[in-house]
Amino acid sequence: MNPWVEGLTALLDPTVLLGMAVGIGLGMLVGAFPGITATMAVALASGFTLTMSPVQGLAVLLSIYTGANFGDRIPAILVNTPGTPAAISTTFDGYPLAKQGKAGLALVISGFAAAIGILVSMVVFSVAAVPIASFALNFGPYEFFALVVLGLTVMISISSKSLIKGIIAGLFGLFLATIGHDPITADPRFTFGLDVLSDKLDFIAVVIGLFGIAEIFDQMLSHNKLHLKPVASLGRWWPSKNEYKQMGKPLLIGSVIGTIVGIVPAAGGDIAGLIGWDRAKSLSKKPEEFGKGSFEGLVAADSASTSTLGGALTTTMALGIPGDSVNAVMLGSMLIWGLQPGPQLFATQPALVASIAGIMVVSTLVSMGLNLFRVRGLVKILDLPRNYLWASVLILCVIGTYATTNDINTVVVMLCAGAVGVLMKRTGFPAGPVVLGLLLGPLAESNLRRALVIDGFGGFFTAPIAMVLLVFAILAFGGTLYSRIRARRKEMAAVAAVAADASVPRETTTTKSKGK
Amino acid sequence: MKLHHRNRISMLKRALAVTATVGMAAALAGCASNGGSGDSGKAASGSDYPSHPITLTVQAAPGGGSDLASRTIAKVLEKELGQSIIVENRPGAAGSLAVKYVSGLKPDGYHIGFTPVELAMFDHLGYDVSPDDVQLLGEIMNQPGTIAVPANSPYKDLKSLVEAAKTKKITVSNSGAGSSWEAATKLLGKAAGVEFTPVPFDGGAPAVTAASGGKVDAVVAGAGETHTAAENGQLRVLAVFSDEPHPVFTDIPTAKSEGYDVVFGAWGGLYAPKGLPDDVATTLEDAIAKAVKSPDFVDPISKTGTVVVYKSADDFTKFVNDEHERFGEVLGK
Repeated sequence: MNPWVEGLTALLDPTVLLGMAVGIGLGMLVGAFPGITATMAVALASGFTLTMSPVQGLAVLLSIYTGANFGDRIPAILVNTPGTPAAISTTFDGYPLAKQGKAGLALVISGFAAAIGILVSMVVFSVAAVPIASFALNFGPYEFFALVVLGLTVMISISSKSLIKGIIAGLFGLFLATIGHDPITADPRFTFGLDVLSDKLDFIAVVIGLFGIAEIFDQMLSHNKLHLKPVASLGRWWPSKNEYKQMGKPLLIGSVIGTIVGIVPAAGGDIAGLIGWDRAKSLSKKPEEFGKGSFEGLVAADSASTSTLGGALTTTMALGIPGDSVNAVMLGSMLIWGLQPGPQLFATQPALVASIAGIMVVSTLVSMGLNLFRVRGLVKILDLPRNYLWASVLILCVIGTYATTNDINTVVVMLCAGAVGVLMKRTGFPAGPVVLGLLLGPLAESNLRRALVIDGFGGFFTAPIAMVLLVFAILAFGGTLYSRIRARRKEMAAVAAVAADASVPRETTTTKSKGK
Repeated sequence: MKLHHRNRISMLKRALAVTATVGMAAALAGCASNGGSGDSGKAASGSDYPSHPITLTVQAAPGGGSDLASRTIAKVLEKELGQSIIVENRPGAAGSLAVKYVSGLKPDGYHIGFTPVELAMFDHLGYDVSPDDVQLLGEIMNQPGTIAVPANSPYKDLKSLVEAAKTKKITVSNSGAGSSWEAATKLLGKAAGVEFTPVPFDGGAPAVTAASGGKVDAVVAGAGETHTAAENGQLRVLAVFSDEPHPVFTDIPTAKSEGYDVVFGAWGGLYAPKGLPDDVATTLEDAIAKAVKSPDFVDPISKTGTVVVYKSADDFTKFVNDEHERFGEVLGK
């Protein structure tokens, strides 16, 4: 029998279908719960799936994986709290949209983008996994360092208003990233002898703090004065024809970037989302809308972060190397089932590969359906009086963060990050660059130092991929910087023109000048 | 919906929200009181031990080898002891956080933990906990170390790799700075009289990947980690650091048989806070001794390249103290 037919008919088994239903539900729940990640959920579930058959087990685990990648966008859009780090970049445009009363529309668009991201990357997985996966082996410390440097250039474009403040925030993030043990010599740095600082700062705790908790604190501070408008109105649900058209380009950019980042081992949806958002911004006709509620930004961020799923699966199944942390867990389960992921899995067990692709596609479509239709009930929580809404969000954040380590100190880290976050919010420092610095700083440092241990600086000249990436990074840095400065000059000129001649108001509307 | 629109529906919603908030608070309180149950319960005595669920603390996040071993042994121990075992993950500070936490709990037999080989390394690396702080109950597993080279490497056996290290820099990747595999690399260098250049990565998988891609000259990692890559034709395993040939690498020589006296494995075992009552300790030790023989434990564990190895509490304590001393020699700064 044709392996595709065989693999896909295996999914019709009622127990497999049940496994997928359970997995999707569970995945959406843990995804939407701030703090609890897909990795944790898959790891805990893998304890129960060991006794199942591989297809049954994979149905549960892969469905959690996809479900979580839909669930984590919901709190990111509704309450500015990424459900998992993969949804960090969703908050950039998703929450502004919700604040403009377009929460429903944002959720629908986000659901579409996430689904298309996964589907595109699964096409890559199904068609060309083995040749593409071997590309991942080319990524050593030199190449990884260069990739991370390219990622760090994103810092400029996510520095919303002031470039200087954005760079200060980014450097602050890079500083926070040095806390903990040195990656090469294991010497403690900035730990003050405290256990909670002896590892790296808990990334999830900092993310929830800087985004979710900072928003809660901000709401608390504003609430008494009744300054903020409620997020209550959901607006319309379905995008207009014109909005559908706008989605094409960012979808393509996001999916391609996400798939590539996914293939690179140990780089996941959080990094991909940020890079995808940045690239879509620099290629957009309306980059000034990014970060203020741009559909393009939301689409690019979501498709980029979810298309890492197919990329990561490609590396995992075709190479036997975990493409991300969820796949690392899955790899362990597969070994216990007696399966050996690697190139020969595709040769000897094509039916299983077809089942994997089938599970991913079906669970993606079902998750999207749930996202489009069932989330409506969930969105009603925005109708709650805000004091109850934000108090509940605070409790959920505390529980979720505590659950990551079972250590109350992690919650303290989260609350401190929240306090810092609200200060930054009120002084105009963006949170994005801090998170970027914290995420990429350790990768940049440890890979550069590894590279130096292996072959010194000279090694860069014998690593073509690294050289190309570094050249790209320099171009991206120079290019973004130049266009930022030019836009600012134009803005200044426009303001000056208005000041000089108030009879030409058209100038200001075309450049959307808001001053600084 | 308007903010000041106070109709019945909004009252209802408010009531709902209050209920939800209170419910969550109650759930939180429930969690808190569960955590402290050891103090409120009566002192454990052998006759009725265990009378309520036992908590097993793992030093790593869900999903790794330690977590798998702990959850698997927990399931079997539940049957042996007739009580449920709650596995909780407390990652942090290289795993020392969990050991420190458990060692500070009441020694009543209701709090036990899983510890990996790092227990014998913590204080040498500057963490504030050592094997003396806990009461060991028994070893349950051991994953022997292996050294492997890229499949297209010019080094066909351990001897040629060691010879090469005498004249040039040989880079050897491992799972992290201060990790057990970094220590193993140093021990091998010591035994061979050469100095390898360890390159620490963030975990075993990236270290193996670096070797598979030919980015480093060799990798020292657990048998389970190098096995997958060797099966896929990416790596060639040169030697196993165990006394006996490894069950999944039957045709690979041991380092000892190649003339380098290095026996090194990532062992793991169970422990409790110091000062367990004798009868409770005996109950736990006996249950562990039986559990490690159960196919429900042996089957899943051995498929990951780990070997089920049992040492009784006394043997294990002696063994850990020896390991502690041995690591002091290579890790001491």
